[in-house]
Amino acid sequence: MSWLPLAHALAARQDLPVPAWLFAWGASIVLIVSFFALAAGWRKPRFEQANWRPLGAGLSRALLSTPAQALFGLVGVFLLGVAVYAGLRGTEAPDRNFALTFLFVTTWLGFPFFSALLGDIFRPFNPWRAVGRAAGAAFTAIAGQRPAHLAYPERLGRWPAAIGLLAVVWLEVVYGASGGVAVGLDPHVAAVATLAYSAYTLAMMALFGVEKWCERGEVFSVYFGMFGRLGCFGVSQGRLALRRPLSAATHWATVPGSAAVVIASIATTSFDGAQEGAFKNAMESVFDWIADAGIGLTTALRLTDTIFMLLCFAGVALVYMAGVRGMRTVPGAPSVAKLRTGFAHTLIPIALAYLVAHYFSLFVFQEQAQFTYLLSDPLGTAHTDLFGTASGGIDFKVLSANAIWYVQVGALVAGHVLALTLAHDRALVYWPDYRRATASQYWMLAVMVAFTCFGLYLLSVANG
Amino acid sequence: MKHSRTALLLLATFAAALALAACGGGDDTTDTGGAATTAPTDESGATAADTTAEKPSVLTIVVRDGEPVGGIQELEFDSGEQIRFKVRSDAAEEIHVHGYDVVEEVAAGGTVEFDFPAEIEGIFEAELEELGVQIAELRVNP
Repeated sequence: MSWLPLAHALAARQDLPVPAWLFAWGASIVLIVSFFALAAGWRKPRFEQANWRPLGAGLSRALLSTPAQALFGLVGVFLLGVAVYAGLRGTEAPDRNFALTFLFVTTWLGFPFFSALLGDIFRPFNPWRAVGRAAGAAFTAIAGQRPAHLAYPERLGRWPAAIGLLAVVWLEVVYGASGGVAVGLDPHVAAVATLAYSAYTLAMMALFGVEKWCERGEVFSVYFGMFGRLGCFGVSQGRLALRRPLSAATHWATVPGSAAVVIASIATTSFDGAQEGAFKNAMESVFDWIADAGIGLTTALRLTDTIFMLLCFAGVALVYMAGVRGMRTVPGAPSVAKLRTGFAHTLIPIALAYLVAHYFSLFVFQEQAQFTYLLSDPLGTAHTDLFGTASGGIDFKVLSANAIWYVQVGALVAGHVLALTLAHDRALVYWPDYRRATASQYWMLAVMVAFTCFGLYLLSVANG
Repeated sequence: MKHSRTALLLLATFAAALALAACGGGDDTTDTGGAATTAPTDESGATAADTTAEKPSVLTIVVRDGEPVGGIQELEFDSGEQIRFKVRSDAAEEIHVHGYDVVEEVAAGGTVEFDFPAEIEGIFEAELEELGVQIAELRVNP
């Protein structure tokens, strides 16, 4: 058994596994909640309509005005520029370089968490969208006509974003990590990858149009936007407005490939949570087997991780498809394809719960670094102190192990309830007969119980 | 007919989840049962440090050729206790306990003692700073 030496990772601390008694309580509450969900359901769909309530006209005009949008876009471009510059010119130590924490913690975890509460807050700050729109406006001004675009092949749907999502997480936890550390990526590699992704994204925007690519293929827009569908702020008829929470999620998955995006999210988080716990022994066996075949250790490790990440994707997809097949047996069911897209959005709360359960503590701790030494000394040179916070650090005492456990289990239970709510509501659309709708939901209930209990199980054997 | 089927389904789900809870719980109980007592830590310490005549309560991690003898040592403490262990190394090294950010230097052939309060709960690595090799895993339980 020969693991590679651990790289210097961002995470100086790992979560303790959830204790057995809390695991048992969590699982029991999930079952009781599920039981009541079946008995006490409403009879008419309630989340299909957004019920927009516009906010103040002045606030709307200010936030949606062209200067404001240009400003938000500039902020996005500036921060991306800082991250790339720090990655290229800064220290090699991932924990001292602005780039990694900004890209993989502040952005990658922060936007899902806050979008789920507020709405799609990434859109105004999206640096590639800002550059694309500015380029489009410049083209229109010079050429005297709007740029022409190819028609996007609609059957591809959101598949480019799903594959991109797997690639981003792969770079972070497979390519970057050697032996299960949470982000051990070389900042230089992260910066080069960001530049390559920027070139690819701008090219795709030029081909298919800025907004089209943001809706279909731009990984961050699609991924953060998915969680934004849970939030309660949006734009309706050119005005900022409040909508019924969850209502925007019900129309999210109509584009093909959406199920793949949410499944990829659950699968990659599962993989990262399981590699140091539930899958540890199996992964070590496969690693030994591959390494014995005469492949270099780093390659063998990455190959093992890749195989298990793809297995997670297949496993999550299989559980979901089993639920879909089950619902198909209920009289009056629509086609399998329609059920598959029709219920994909019900997994968004599960994906969010998995993210919170696995990364909440990392986010709270690493954001302290983000706003102290990483902000004042982005390159990690130890000679810069832009805002006088370079000597600050992470206070690990802000979260006790108990606080982390309660947030983890609470997130999974809450995600379970939201997922059941969305599934029940959608079933009422497909089966106007209440009894048939309920019958179909035994299947989705089994799917959700499987995901939630698997999530609890992962926590209980984490870092084992 | 329909009702009995749904009841059966529910029962099956219930049973499956309970079984899951039970076996997950069972696993964990044995885990903590074995690890909560200090005995295994001391035992592994004794095997790693059988050449030195240390008091059995303080574990000594022996580093030879840039690696911990007997593999990565697992140490377990309760919040509020003192974290105490020693490191003996055949080469000069700097030993870093992550999270707590405690760093001690050890000379070639020398021994260094760590002794600090367990204030932060969680799992932490102790590593040889220069080589980037992990020598111990510290668990601080609430």
